[in-house]
Amino acid sequence: MSSKKLLLENAHIEGIRYYDVYRKNGGYRSVEKALKMSPDEVVEEVKKSGLRGRGGAGFPAGMKWSFIAKPEGVPRHLVCNADESEPGTFKDRYLMEFIPHLLIEGLIVSSYALGSNVTYIYIRGEYAWIPDILEQAIEEAKANGFLGKNILNSGFDCEIYVQRGAGAYICGEETALIESLEGKRGNPRIKPPFPAVKGAWDRPTVVNNVETLAAVAPIINIGGEEYAKIGVGRSTGTKLISACGNINKPGVYEIDMTISVEEFIYSDEWCGGIKNGKRLKACIPGGSSVPILPANLLLKTAKGEPRMMNYESLADGGFATGTMMGSGGFIVLDEDQCVVKHTYTLARFYRHESCGQCSPCREGTGWMEKLLLRLDQGQGKMSDIDLLWDIQSKIEGNTICPLGDAAAWPVAAAIRHFRDEFEWHITNAAEAQTRNFGLAHYADPLPVSEPVAV
Amino acid sequence: MEQKIMIQFSQEQLDKVNQIIARYPEGKQKSALLPVLHLAQEVFGWLSTETMDYVATLLKIEPIEVYEVATFYTMYNLRPVGKYVFEVCQTGPCMIQGSDDIIAYIGEQLNIKPGETTEDGLFTLKTAECLGACGYAPMMQMGKFYKEHLTKEKVDAIIAACRNDASVNN
Repeated sequence: MSSKKLLLENAHIEGIRYYDVYRKNGGYRSVEKALKMSPDEVVEEVKKSGLRGRGGAGFPAGMKWSFIAKPEGVPRHLVCNADESEPGTFKDRYLMEFIPHLLIEGLIVSSYALGSNVTYIYIRGEYAWIPDILEQAIEEAKANGFLGKNILNSGFDCEIYVQRGAGAYICGEETALIESLEGKRGNPRIKPPFPAVKGAWDRPTVVNNVETLAAVAPIINIGGEEYAKIGVGRSTGTKLISACGNINKPGVYEIDMTISVEEFIYSDEWCGGIKNGKRLKACIPGGSSVPILPANLLLKTAKGEPRMMNYESLADGGFATGTMMGSGGFIVLDEDQCVVKHTYTLARFYRHESCGQCSPCREGTGWMEKLLLRLDQGQGKMSDIDLLWDIQSKIEGNTICPLGDAAAWPVAAAIRHFRDEFEWHITNAAEAQTRNFGLAHYADPLPVSEPVAV
Repeated sequence: MEQKIMIQFSQEQLDKVNQIIARYPEGKQKSALLPVLHLAQEVFGWLSTETMDYVATLLKIEPIEVYEVATFYTMYNLRPVGKYVFEVCQTGPCMIQGSDDIIAYIGEQLNIKPGETTEDGLFTLKTAECLGACGYAPMMQMGKFYKEHLTKEKVDAIIAACRNDASVNN
């Protein structure tokens, strides 16, 4: 079964990185169309499309736009969040490298809708070669009248600037990103006030992910209602998934959210199955922050239905038996992988990336890292598992920004679903240093739970 | 071997700084701090206190405002590094593809541990957390670019190419 493409359809045309080829293939039509509409009409189309934030939170983009304050005489800003840093996620990089004009096109339309005359792309510092690609695209768009003063004689002016970060995962959080844009440490702000009211330089600001803003171009081209017909339920349109780990075909795929997780992993159109003929053990389907699931719960929900690659189905069962779509960073672990060690590397990541502002996160991420290292090295105690559980539960919900939750969830889910693998690291400490726990029962069919009367 | 470098941008670099400042609202020149620190590191190799003070003067902000930022972000080097810096990702998706072996192998070849620089000042080895190349693991950042799908053979070739480059350009 083939999946509809709206973003990467033309990504492999030779020379698509350059304006002439991009334009010849239908590029910048959405700008021509949008500038004949009123900004509110553009917002309305995005609302109708049902587009949800593609950075991880999945918040409806059109609704976020409608919150922007419009005080008289105060400039407003759109900021594109290209600080892609969630382990497992490399989709925005792909889009910016291969089809940069699509992002610029989406940014122009979105800037017009929000009334942003100066728009910024905040890109992670490590993607050091991509600003050149984006700046070239910006220059070309400007030379062809799609940026700068009085775009297409509409009276709308817009400039886009690229700013590099300098190595801080936390700057993907929108208020930390704004702080960083202002030349400060990336410490998230307390909300409210929300950026839509008081953002960059205290001006109304909207921060959206790269993929979200790129999707605005096809939405205007085909119309919000048509866009909403693609996909299923509240998972409208297409989603980029970056697939990695023990699979045959790692890479970035665009899916229309109607395929099953099983098809996505095993079909040659996407991941192409597990590498080296191994068996699937576990998967983190939405970037490192979302709960890890064992193979059985990944492929089928607790109700016994096939799990689908969309927001609702991935979340089916809540955190007890489900996970999240998140950023679409799809990490696959085969039967030879150790969940304890993998969770340790994630805990180390979050300790490294905690900004240090809130004690539960600053201290808790350090404790979790130490405990997981001890367990992985065969020096853990049974009580360490309960201690880990206790720490993660005290981080979640007790911090200014979601980094605390993002650090707690992977640890909680690993213990929830792989507790016997953790225990084995304690009971069979010496053996655990020579081999991995293996697949165990993690792919066995689960008894289907009875529907609970509500 | 440490040479005293004059901490002063060229006119061309100063023009670049002013271009960056012009991207932000008037009076908000502090916003240019991250890009200007990147530029300073490119020009002077690392961020000494003297360099940070110079950047503070350029942006008309207090030196402490520069120190706060330079110490927060991992990409700024607060001490000298080798001519070639290998930053090898070690987070989950890279770990399951063998990044630990790559880090150990580079360490053996260069006879240094992560965080150290070779005596000849050519190489620094660092570990890094997720660099957004999970599908192309194991990988490392080297200067402006990524080196992906690393193998021992590929590491050998990269080290040899660096040594060659250094002998040609010295």
